[in-house]
Amino acid sequence: MSEQSGSQEAVTLIIDDVEVTVPTGTKVLDAAERAGVVVPHYCYHPGIPTRPAQCRVCLVSVEGQGKLQPSCVLDAQQDMVVHTATEEAKLARKSVIEFLLVNHPLDCPICDAAGQCMLQDYAFETGQLESRVEEPKLVMGRDRIADDVLYFADRCIICTRCVRFMREVARDDALIVAQRGHRAYIDTFPGTELDNPFHGNIVDVCPVGALVHEDFLFKARFWDMDSASSICPGCSNGCNVSVASKENQVVRLKPRHNAAVNSYWMCDHGRGQLVMANRGIRAEVPLLRDEDGELRPADWKDALDRVASDLSELGGGGRAVVSPHACNESLHQLRRLLELLGFQGGEFRVEQGGEATLDGFPKLKLRADRAPNATGAELLGFERVESLAEPGPGEVLVVLGERLDADPTLPDAAFGEHAGYVLYLGTRITEAARRADAILPVTSSAEMQGTFTNWEGRVQRFDQALREAGIARPAWMVLSRLVGLLGGEGATRLEAADAFDAMAADTSGMEGMDWLSLGLKGLPLASPADVAGGAS
Amino acid sequence: MPGDVKVLRRPEEKGSYVRAALKGMSVTFRHMVNPRKVTQQYPDEKWELAPRMRGTHRMATHEDGRAKCVACGLCPTVCPVNCIKLIPAEDENGERYAAVYEIDEFRCIFCGFCQEVCPVEAIHLGVHYENAEYSRERWVYDLERLCDQDQPFTALWDPADPASE
Repeated sequence: MSEQSGSQEAVTLIIDDVEVTVPTGTKVLDAAERAGVVVPHYCYHPGIPTRPAQCRVCLVSVEGQGKLQPSCVLDAQQDMVVHTATEEAKLARKSVIEFLLVNHPLDCPICDAAGQCMLQDYAFETGQLESRVEEPKLVMGRDRIADDVLYFADRCIICTRCVRFMREVARDDALIVAQRGHRAYIDTFPGTELDNPFHGNIVDVCPVGALVHEDFLFKARFWDMDSASSICPGCSNGCNVSVASKENQVVRLKPRHNAAVNSYWMCDHGRGQLVMANRGIRAEVPLLRDEDGELRPADWKDALDRVASDLSELGGGGRAVVSPHACNESLHQLRRLLELLGFQGGEFRVEQGGEATLDGFPKLKLRADRAPNATGAELLGFERVESLAEPGPGEVLVVLGERLDADPTLPDAAFGEHAGYVLYLGTRITEAARRADAILPVTSSAEMQGTFTNWEGRVQRFDQALREAGIARPAWMVLSRLVGLLGGEGATRLEAADAFDAMAADTSGMEGMDWLSLGLKGLPLASPADVAGGAS
Repeated sequence: MPGDVKVLRRPEEKGSYVRAALKGMSVTFRHMVNPRKVTQQYPDEKWELAPRMRGTHRMATHEDGRAKCVACGLCPTVCPVNCIKLIPAEDENGERYAAVYEIDEFRCIFCGFCQEVCPVEAIHLGVHYENAEYSRERWVYDLERLCDQDQPFTALWDPADPASE
């Protein structure tokens, strides 16, 4: 890191016997992190510009300086010698924790932050496990600080991260610290409401359990949850998130740091996406239409054999309707299937919604395209349309993920009823799916691995968070098998990595990408010119 | 054959059973006159149970009958056999409570970890062992049934009195 910043600008210092070189202007706390030393801190958050140095937990000893120094605001200087764990520093830290615990209710057993609480961690670390306070604790109760956020004043340590997030990152002076001293608490500014489209982030920055999202209240203990790295499907911004799940249900989404996309933040619309992963009656087994016109369940082998023979027998052309929620790999395999059958390609539409920008990090924006992969669908040769064209009589219609319902832009409610044959690949059995000749159940993006291409052409990977519904399989697996059955090249893709590598080799703009180099932060497409149109 | 195995041969010729029968009867008659009684007339007479005997669970309740449980989730976490099912929820006062709390006494190994870990001394084991049911489902005790138990609470081990004297 130090080489990047120019050698004249670098300073070398020693932190806990580790020599570290950092650019001039780096604070000691950040330098310590680079040296592998974690200095406890509350008020400092890497995503919030100001460092008020008010929590006094990051105090360290510096040789030659009499007093302890707050490391979050102390500039690293040449030949500085810092000790983070001298007796003096440890005592200071312990005293601060003791002060914070004077009125803290210690209700860890019922607090949703238990297990991921910095107060719990540091109290344990500093050994501040018994109270010397004999007076009764001040009880302040709880408050609804926003529509969906609860504030437990007793647990609050007044680090002001939430206040500073709203003021400096969201640029919305909605929160203040009211009162002083041990009576201080966080409140909305008189006459204002906390209804910023990004206010959910105050829950994430809270180092203790003072701010709790109501959707998550009492839902799950920290140690009961599984976590998977994923991409928010809420809009085309492609925010990196981690999906926490318990017993195969998504319980919350949290932003995952990616400096190129969303920093430490995400919007509230994105947080609401978790309910979508849990909701609805899912397509769990392949369904085929029998002689009597009824849909009957079948196993995968029979279903794919039957669909392959149907498709090879049917003439008369056909086309596809896809969803911009489908991942790149699935769309690529579908394009191969369409090419093999000689069909005329496919189209998709994108749900639109209002926009909102996070002023402190303008790249993070709730974008009008309310789907994660419109750019990828265009890159892979599908056409973006305002309203879908009704398939002609006798045509074959292949649907991937598109619900085809509840939308006034459709020609009529019975979309596709004139089609000669409808193959429906989807996660749910919608009204349109009930008219299909074959339904192949595919996994939702929470139940599979894959990649999305965001608005600016960044290809990002998401991992599986939930078990698949029934015997549903990823669409890229199903479609690559169909391609094989119809005589196309390439094996059935059983791994997302294989499906991705096959796509990257076959798609302009993705040359040289492979699943491993993609990593958890994603890679931009080779040339931005390939990103056709460019959604807002 | 390995060297140490001792092979005993049964007597092959016929012998009298009288001597063996008398030997056996002498044991029987000796016990008839023995003043030390071993047999206990269960269920008319019952064992006196140790205060630390770990048996059927019992949930402690507040004076108004509500369970003391705050649904913190530590007992299902610590339970080595996963016999506790807990679904927390929020009551009308905004407090956390156990919407579902079930213990499968059939699966339970009565280790007592749940009682030890409970931060509000709600779930206890009880000094009680007489369980019999006609179905396995009946062994899954719900919160109401756990609150209705009336056996004494199991005493925890006291480090100051390790032998319970």
